[in-house]
Amino acid sequence: MLRKEVNELLTQTDPGTPMGALFRQYWIPALLASELPEDDCAPVRVKLLGERLIAFRDSDGRYGLMDEFCAHRGVSLWFGRNEESGLRCPYHGWKYDVNGQCTEVPSEPDASGFCEKIKLRAYPLIKIGDVLWTHMGGKENRPPEPVWEFATVAPEQTFTSKRWQECNWLQAMEGGIDSSHVSFLHSGGLNTDPLFRGAKGNQYNLADKKPVFEVTETEGGLFIGARRNAEEGRHYWRITPWIMPSFTMVPPRGDHPQHGHFWVPIDDENCWAWSYDYHPTRALTGAERQAMRDGHGIHNEYVPGTFRPLQNKDNDYMMDREAQKRGDTFSGIKGIAMQDASLQESMGPICDRTKENLVSTDNGIIMARHRLRKAVTALRDKGTLPPGRNPEHQKVRSVAAVLEADKNYVEACRDALTAAPGKQRTSV
Amino acid sequence: MSGSHRPTLLSNCTLATTAAEARFRVEYPNSRTRSSRIFALDQRAAEAMYAITEDPWQGAHFLTVLANDDIEPEATEASQLPLAHPDGTPADLAVEIEGADVVVLISSSGRNAGAAEVVAREAYHRSIMTAGLALSDLNAGEKAEAAVNAMRPFASVLVVARDEEFIPAMLNALRA
Repeated sequence: MLRKEVNELLTQTDPGTPMGALFRQYWIPALLASELPEDDCAPVRVKLLGERLIAFRDSDGRYGLMDEFCAHRGVSLWFGRNEESGLRCPYHGWKYDVNGQCTEVPSEPDASGFCEKIKLRAYPLIKIGDVLWTHMGGKENRPPEPVWEFATVAPEQTFTSKRWQECNWLQAMEGGIDSSHVSFLHSGGLNTDPLFRGAKGNQYNLADKKPVFEVTETEGGLFIGARRNAEEGRHYWRITPWIMPSFTMVPPRGDHPQHGHFWVPIDDENCWAWSYDYHPTRALTGAERQAMRDGHGIHNEYVPGTFRPLQNKDNDYMMDREAQKRGDTFSGIKGIAMQDASLQESMGPICDRTKENLVSTDNGIIMARHRLRKAVTALRDKGTLPPGRNPEHQKVRSVAAVLEADKNYVEACRDALTAAPGKQRTSV
Repeated sequence: MSGSHRPTLLSNCTLATTAAEARFRVEYPNSRTRSSRIFALDQRAAEAMYAITEDPWQGAHFLTVLANDDIEPEATEASQLPLAHPDGTPADLAVEIEGADVVVLISSSGRNAGAAEVVAREAYHRSIMTAGLALSDLNAGEKAEAAVNAMRPFASVLVVARDEEFIPAMLNALRA
């Protein structure tokens, strides 16, 4: 349960809000690099943290992300002409560079210098991995560039997708650290999904539906350990890192690629669910990559030409009651991603947490909210920069391991929980 | 999608999750008051707990374990465990734990592991969920490890928190 004012504190991210200020302290995913595939390609409308923006790639390959609307008469620059190192408004020809600086106002004398007085708010946009990242905060507190392993391995080792989720970012993100739902909601997929099946760890998951949870604070966020019974008194551990403000990584299964999410607010009632899949030591196979494109694992199918899932609330997520009765799926919804999204969107655009009844196994969620709240208030009241900006905080891996019963999971797996180039991972 | 799929009317799905529709959710208390028992296992845990006992809790009982490390769990009945209320008056575990919904053990040092086992055992016999909260910080080192190890065998959920502010955050979240 959260009081109304705390729920509002954590869920509102528009400019001027405390949580909005927190998100503006990080590099966050803004677009897939494939959305701006070539120089002078079509600009893309982007809405992030309640701000309407336009992204483009100029004639010199530079990326720009700036206010969507021309400073002259407020026309959307989505209609603009991307040409000769700038984005030109089609209404009266005003032109802007990737920094938002107006470079031409055709109606004014060239020598007047008028255009120098016009500048759209702009944010840096950098390509790391498959993702274009932006930092929407002040230049004075710009963090080091992100070093997440999924974005820094070789291109053939990683795959990233994104989907529009029609609810607040926090309830979506909380699904990523709510390890106890996996044994129920996703149980149908462990033995059938091509990106999960065959792993020995699946059998532990399916055999022990009452895991014991241990939640451990770290510098950058949390480790959430879920412990299940294994052979000879040992324990099967699945360890999920959560790094502030909204990064999670699901523990791996066998030699399958490992995956996770970023949740990024679009506005208070919509967010982007970013889903990555990568293997730290080998290239993804053609079959794996195709399975991801086909919507398996944590990915999804789309309404053609959009990032809206094919299963969405307009079609009740293609609910299949017969599959639910047969046990093919626990909820009747196909696919991990949409099983989560359907339920999280059903909570309403912003979950009313004054009505919820959390239990002890929800302590991962409780701790994440606590960390966020502390960081938000420390930033607002004292200007303290939040955890998760430090590259060392981002060098994490999820782990699946069988440990002796007396082992502390964090200590036993400390090295395995740290990402390093080419290092073998720990998976079951 | 199976052939038996029957699309639902748009008015039954799309609109159901809008902010406008959220206004029509039924307003009522959907849970009864929980009965929570919070046990401080050592001095720092007790001080952290005492700092919040005056908050407006919903029936939570705060108790301090007065035992020392010599407690033999196998030889200690519930009513023999030295316990105290925040005002210092003695408390009886057998009475306190009856009817509880959740037990929370708080430790910062690993002391009184035997007492923790007695509490957890009594909770287990009554099918009461036991959660462990280990207070740690950057310099806690072996103490934190000891606190974790002391509670691990008994807790269905274990949290290692770096600050004492998590205690009220957790208890509020659990409607204690």
